[in-house]
Amino acid sequence: MARLLPALVGLLLCLSCSGSNPDLVVYCALDQDLSEPLILEFEQRTGLKVQAQYDVERNKTVGLVQRILHEAESHPHADVFWNNEIAHTLRLQHAGLTEPYQSPAAATIPSAFRDPEGHWTGFAARARVVLYRTDQDLPVPTKLDDFLKPEFAQHGAMAAPLTGTTLTNATVLAQVRGRQAMLDWFAAARAAGLAFGSGNADVMRRTAAGNFHWCFTDTDDAAKAIDQGHPLAIRYLEQGDGHTGALLIPNTLCLLKSGKNQKAARQFADFILSTEVEARLAHSISRQIPLHENTQIPDGVGRPGVDFQVMDVDWAQVGAKIGDIARLLQTEFVR
Amino acid sequence: MLDARTGLLLWRSLWMASAAGLFAIALGWPYAIFACRFQFPGASLFRMLMPLPLLLPPLMVAQAWFGLSHMTGPWASVFTFGVCYAPLPALMAARSLRHQSASSHHAALLLGPRFALFEMLRISFLPALVGGCFAFLFSSADFAVPDYFATVGDLFHVYAAEIFGHSRNDDFTAGATASLPLLLLGFLALLGCAHLQHKQNNFETQGGPAPAPLRLPTWRLSIGLGMSALLLLLLLAPLGRIVFETGMQGPLSDRSWLEVSGQAFHDAVSRGRADVLRTLSYAGLAGLFCLLLAPLWAHMLLHSKGKIRMLLLVALTLPLLVPSVALGFGSILMFNQPWLDSFYLSIWPPALLVAGRFLPVAVWVLVARMSRSPRNQEEVAALAGCSSWLRIFRYHLGPMRSTWFLAAGLVVAFGVRELDFAILLPAANQSAAVRYYNALHFSRDNFVAAYGLVLAVLLFLPVMLHAWWLNFTQSTDDNSLS
Repeated sequence: MARLLPALVGLLLCLSCSGSNPDLVVYCALDQDLSEPLILEFEQRTGLKVQAQYDVERNKTVGLVQRILHEAESHPHADVFWNNEIAHTLRLQHAGLTEPYQSPAAATIPSAFRDPEGHWTGFAARARVVLYRTDQDLPVPTKLDDFLKPEFAQHGAMAAPLTGTTLTNATVLAQVRGRQAMLDWFAAARAAGLAFGSGNADVMRRTAAGNFHWCFTDTDDAAKAIDQGHPLAIRYLEQGDGHTGALLIPNTLCLLKSGKNQKAARQFADFILSTEVEARLAHSISRQIPLHENTQIPDGVGRPGVDFQVMDVDWAQVGAKIGDIARLLQTEFVR
Repeated sequence: MLDARTGLLLWRSLWMASAAGLFAIALGWPYAIFACRFQFPGASLFRMLMPLPLLLPPLMVAQAWFGLSHMTGPWASVFTFGVCYAPLPALMAARSLRHQSASSHHAALLLGPRFALFEMLRISFLPALVGGCFAFLFSSADFAVPDYFATVGDLFHVYAAEIFGHSRNDDFTAGATASLPLLLLGFLALLGCAHLQHKQNNFETQGGPAPAPLRLPTWRLSIGLGMSALLLLLLLAPLGRIVFETGMQGPLSDRSWLEVSGQAFHDAVSRGRADVLRTLSYAGLAGLFCLLLAPLWAHMLLHSKGKIRMLLLVALTLPLLVPSVALGFGSILMFNQPWLDSFYLSIWPPALLVAGRFLPVAVWVLVARMSRSPRNQEEVAALAGCSSWLRIFRYHLGPMRSTWFLAAGLVVAFGVRELDFAILLPAANQSAAVRYYNALHFSRDNFVAAYGLVLAVLLFLPVMLHAWWLNFTQSTDDNSLS
């Protein structure tokens, strides 16, 4: 066995030396199964070699964001950050790490989902929705304050607002109603019997399994549960006159100032922000909601502003406050 | 750090990890005794399967047990950790039972089988306790499993989540400060292990034949059934559930279980293959480092005393005790320099981190084995003018090659499971663990189950081969003795 050692060492040394410098480095927080084929297609079309890095649940989007922040201190690597939400992209913008770029491919995306200076562009969004069981005769919330009523809350669940889109949702709530009112809202929901889980996908799974009648989650998680053949449907909250509309959280793409491959980064942005890619994400298993006005969408995906009402959000404010809100909620929920 | 909230988190982590350690002992200790020292149908198979539950990711086991039993809350986490880490006390106890003095066993047997059993319990108690301490250590640092069960029942958190929360909020100093209590607890647990290991050496033989397994014809069937139940709990039930989950669908689905499961395995192999190879390359390199470093460190630990020994122990265990995410950030700060660009992007940083973090496990295995080598053999070699290098690698490790390779194999297995710093390092980001957890987050449940099984089989194979080799050499030794 010991005679095999030199051969093993040689093999591993060869493996460690293999590989060459990429033409583009993309940090991507979207589902690897969705983003990887698109990145590969970009490679095929352009002939550029892309090094993609992905994120995982336990770090939400913050693993890559932290990595960008830490790498920026000494020797940055990423050219593009493709985030599956928006708040932490704004954090990078506030840190002065983003490079403005107005992609011509994003011209038909509404201005509410684009930074005026082009530091980031939103596309392929997820909405915060109620996913409920269609085989149970129980009430389903239609607005956020229904969560505070025991007849709804005792059969429902949502993720604790510590990371991801639920944290963004809590920050938006604080922005709309005030910080203390947001904390009071969570306290009242808990007192009414609402269950808090650790993530959107987890509460979705529990609803699909029949442990809850409904959960407050994202449309991509909801779409996967429905695709798996569970008797479930979604409901957009806060619809109708006098209501704020559903919260829509887009994917965001930003170029990084320190990127060494700006030309390739722009090419990549033009590709990812195209209607073609948005349509593919809309037709994918996670049913991302297109923001381009002219994207073809499949059945079951709502068009914002047409099929459901969308909430107006000051994203710059959300980005500025999300760090403080995260710290505040950690002391409330990590117990 | 000193407020009631963090105190409560720390207390919860402490009792949960302690209960998990005790439960791991309760499962692993009897398993080792019956598998190693009793004759019953399939005993060698049970010995061979003993380490396998350790190779299943705890989160995968948690999901499987939730699917099977719908258990929730902190006790469900305790159960999961106990099941996952039961092989640690089992392996430690089994190792000591193999080196039980045959004379003490036969003397006890003359008084009756009950006394022989008591003697086995006495011999293997301290090693099982050491295994329990390691189970405590790993359970206290894990928050993915409690996080999972918190979703299912009432929301609760453990102290490791507090550390992670601070690091996530870009408050790295607070994260480092918050990790101190767990670091201290872990170090105390390891010191306890070192003390117990030292005491244990007095019980064990320095060589000679191992005592024969006990033959209790009237109890054969009961022991076989009891062991089968234990194996079902530790391995077969979670594995069976995961296999079922590869094709699980809702009631409205028009696809068959086989169709979905087949697709999941196809995706697992086609999409995850390259990541598995990359993971094996850096984890394998880490294993090679440990193959060379662990014997040297073990030798130094065995031949040092007082403050130097303590210093060696602290330097060895620190990378295992600090949060993994801190190692990742530290690695970025250290290696991400313009003049180190190629190195930073290569598989060397993750290989070094895996080796550094899990070197204590390899050293531990070797110290336990090397401390049983006859001192006079090494002294004779020294008198004959052999260098330290030759003495360690020829005289110490020559007769214990399987333990040497097991130590490196454990580093590879733990390296494959490592996630937190894998996300942060370029060459490790496209690894099996990152793909697994990425798919888990995005609800690719069938793929997650299939990919988890593929990884488990890959990790199982070398361990099964090692166990088979051990059984084979033992039976050869027995035959030559008889």
